Amino acid sequence: MLADPVALLRPTSPARQFRTRLVMALAFAALVVALVPLAAIAWYVISKGIAVINLDFFTQDPPGDLSAVGGGIRNAIVGTMEMTGVAAVIAVPVGLLVAIFDVEVGRQPALVIRFVIDVLGALPSIVVGIFVYSLVVVAQGHFSGFAGSIALAIIMLPPIVVTTEEMLRLLPRPIAEGARALGLSRWRSFLSVFLPTAFSGIFTGVLLAISRAIGETAPLLFTALGNNFFSLDMSEPMQGLPLLIYRNALNSAFPAAEARAFGAALTLVVIVLLFNLTGRWMVARSRPSGGR
Amino acid sequence: MAQDDPGATESRGPEGLGSQVLHRRRLTGDAIFRAVTGAAAVLAFALIALMAYDSISSTGPVFDRFGIWGFVTGTRWSPSFTVYGAIPFIYGTLLTGLISVLIAVPIAIGIALLVTEFLPRRVAGPVAMVVDLLAAVPSVVWGLWGLLVLVPTLRPFEQAVAGSIGHVLPFLGPPTPGPSYFAAGLIVAIMIIPIVAAVTREVFAATPRLQREAVLALGGTRWDVIRQVVLPIGRTGLFAAIILGLGRAIGETIAVTLVIGNSTNMAGSIFAPGFTLASVIANEFNEATESLHPEALIALGVVLLAIAVMINGAGVLVRRRFERGLNRAR
Repeated sequence: MLADPVALLRPTSPARQFRTRLVMALAFAALVVALVPLAAIAWYVISKGIAVINLDFFTQDPPGDLSAVGGGIRNAIVGTMEMTGVAAVIAVPVGLLVAIFDVEVGRQPALVIRFVIDVLGALPSIVVGIFVYSLVVVAQGHFSGFAGSIALAIIMLPPIVVTTEEMLRLLPRPIAEGARALGLSRWRSFLSVFLPTAFSGIFTGVLLAISRAIGETAPLLFTALGNNFFSLDMSEPMQGLPLLIYRNALNSAFPAAEARAFGAALTLVVIVLLFNLTGRWMVARSRPSGGR
Repeated sequence: MAQDDPGATESRGPEGLGSQVLHRRRLTGDAIFRAVTGAAAVLAFALIALMAYDSISSTGPVFDRFGIWGFVTGTRWSPSFTVYGAIPFIYGTLLTGLISVLIAVPIAIGIALLVTEFLPRRVAGPVAMVVDLLAAVPSVVWGLWGLLVLVPTLRPFEQAVAGSIGHVLPFLGPPTPGPSYFAAGLIVAIMIIPIVAAVTREVFAATPRLQREAVLALGGTRWDVIRQVVLPIGRTGLFAAIILGLGRAIGETIAVTLVIGNSTNMAGSIFAPGFTLASVIANEFNEATESLHPEALIALGVVLLAIAVMINGAGVLVRRRFERGLNRAR
């Protein structure tokens, strides 16, 4: 961190050096304290999860009675993928358009939109669940996978807008000037120049947004509700991995429910990390060229 | 980024010809473009505003019956008697939020200092990434682990504290069933550490290089740099990080629901079971059959929404003030 000439100036007073060492040790201790729960949860979820995972766990549906041994989590995996997929299909285009609008309209309105997006992104996810319940579920008259998708889309929207906007603003000036020099209209510039150039950054944002939404339980409680049976129908109540883990955790006095919860938790964590780490890896890779 | 400028060679093409026509077409194209993006933005916000309006208006009967003030300050929650008051849950939300911030902030500051001030850059990146993994673990998985591992581990500790210090300090006293405000605060602390650490890290990393080097040039140690430059300059930003962490903490739902013990009583001890606004909604909504019960739970959601918007709005504003101050300092 320190340049070499600076190191030459390092003071020698032992008391002062000790203070720096002490702070360093405390800072290091803070890191260790934070990593203890991470290591503990990794160990528990992996060791207890592996124990129940086999092929049947992914290809069978759970038994009607949570306390019964056996069955799998197929309905939850399919439901999570379906609801998250539909949510992404809704949130990505809307997020891109909002971000482009934000970049285009100039400073003052952009600040307002950003403020709304920031507040929206900080909404408790259970409140998002209530919102969607009040509009979609009440209007439909019943819980549905579609309502769950809407809730997840609202969760995804803010991070997608924020990263897209950041990526567009980070574009090197010569690219914008080049597009203008070509005589491209604004919409053409975005479509054929800016968005493709910022693609990897935007894609990363989308992946991270999905990884966040996929693990959300609270917005699904009063929207998708959960379903013990296999269903592909978005207009019916739908099971998701987080919902299945929650319901089995509530019944974890039964060994079968506890085992199922840990198996599903391991599955969910692996899926989340797959999206999350791919996204992060892309950030790390794209940083030298386009990053700050 | 100099090489990827494919348009450069084509720019000698006949684009300039007929620019008049082109100009007009460009304007209509851009007008449509702006209209479409603007419509998307307005529509998205309108839809969300409509949802908020629907939620808030559906709580009408509750507020009609108890009055807004009466509901918000009511101390009893008893669906079977159609008595609804929000205080036990506001109390639980603020108490767990406070506990989590008290635990998380020192740890997050330590991590941020380690990453920005002490570790070589090669190590700092991966360390920050590992800390971020804490945020990648879904809430429900933390809740599952908290319920089955953390709470049983905490119980003897809680009993020991309640049995000794608890006699003097009632807020550390019994009962100690295991699930508690403290367990919830602890699990939420784990979950907000990466968020607070990330913002704090950015704040510390934004310290102007010249000022750091000035202290070093005067013979200061790295602790002097932290104490005299990094912390004073980052004070506002640090404050923003804490507020944003608190904002996240009060909205945490599922993990809290699984470890807080789910009691509508308002207990003085942090080792007693309770409820937060978010967790009582999650726990009772699907079984809410008593009269006004669902409406009262949505009303709690509105209270939570108001608290969250206030806290997060303040956090965003403070963060902006920090960024503005930094720009001026440069």
